[in-house]
Amino acid sequence: MRARLLLGALALLAGCQGKPPPSGLQGDPARGRVALAQHACRACHMIPGITGPETYVGRPLVDLAESRFIAGSLPNTQANLVRWIRNPQAIDPQTAMPAVGVSERDALDMSAWLLAPDN
Amino acid sequence: MPNRMPPKSKRLILKTAAATLVLAGLAAAAAGAIVLRAGWYDTTATSQHLQPVHTLLELGMRYSVRNHASEVRVPPLGAPRQVLRGAAVYAAHCAQCHGGPGSAQAKIAQSMQPLPGPLVDAGAHWQPRELYWITKHGIKMSGMPAWQFHLSDADLWSVVAFMGVLPTLSARDYAQATGVANAAGTPASAPTTAGAAQ
Repeated sequence: MRARLLLGALALLAGCQGKPPPSGLQGDPARGRVALAQHACRACHMIPGITGPETYVGRPLVDLAESRFIAGSLPNTQANLVRWIRNPQAIDPQTAMPAVGVSERDALDMSAWLLAPDN
Repeated sequence: MPNRMPPKSKRLILKTAAATLVLAGLAAAAAGAIVLRAGWYDTTATSQHLQPVHTLLELGMRYSVRNHASEVRVPPLGAPRQVLRGAAVYAAHCAQCHGGPGSAQAKIAQSMQPLPGPLVDAGAHWQPRELYWITKHGIKMSGMPAWQFHLSDADLWSVVAFMGVLPTLSARDYAQATGVANAAGTPASAPTTAGAAQ
């Protein structure tokens, strides 16, 4: 019993180190950050934590966690963001944002990075 | 003690300063050689430049192009036939790396470092003569090839003319003008395990 409590306390302490996992978000934000760079998102969007030029071809993806809507009128949920990332033209046929061939897992990880509270 | 330093101690100060500079230079060169030879610098395309390095390199490129392209004489641009030809050249040689409205660049370009950017905003950053210069001569160490020996001068200018109308094209207009489908394919064809072996 005592050992178990100790283990529990240790697990809690371990959780305190580094970036706390964003509440309620699925996916791996650190991997998502690399995936965002590797799918060329940074070519059009300025994204926290990713190096690149000053560009406004797409909206800067800052403070996404605080946005109520994405893509104009889509309620800002992680599931919607994943849908949008994977196939934007299925949601808004007029959008200039292309589908770049993102897998479900990559899109989930990307959304975890973009929706992290401090991004 | 007089205000003026005696020549002897002045000489000593100068000598010390010079020796310090030489030693510091040698130490920096040695440190650089060690980092280089040990292979500590990460050349992978998944690791990014630091933002200040990226910004500095980009600024240097900007000034270089501005300087070198200043003497270029620009022919009349924008005739419908020229723009049409430019769209064909763009689709054949530019779209795979730069994409277009509603159309992604190919996989090979998505993973490049530095990233080839979109060209819809090229006209906001560059004069036509500068776009011609970049297309003709390429950009060293960026992946941007020189097209001078592969495209005629008329074709180079036609691409510049097409970039002039690119911002006015919707995704549908662009697809019609270039006749290209989304180079990266639809998400349905994306491998679900992509990047699993990170």
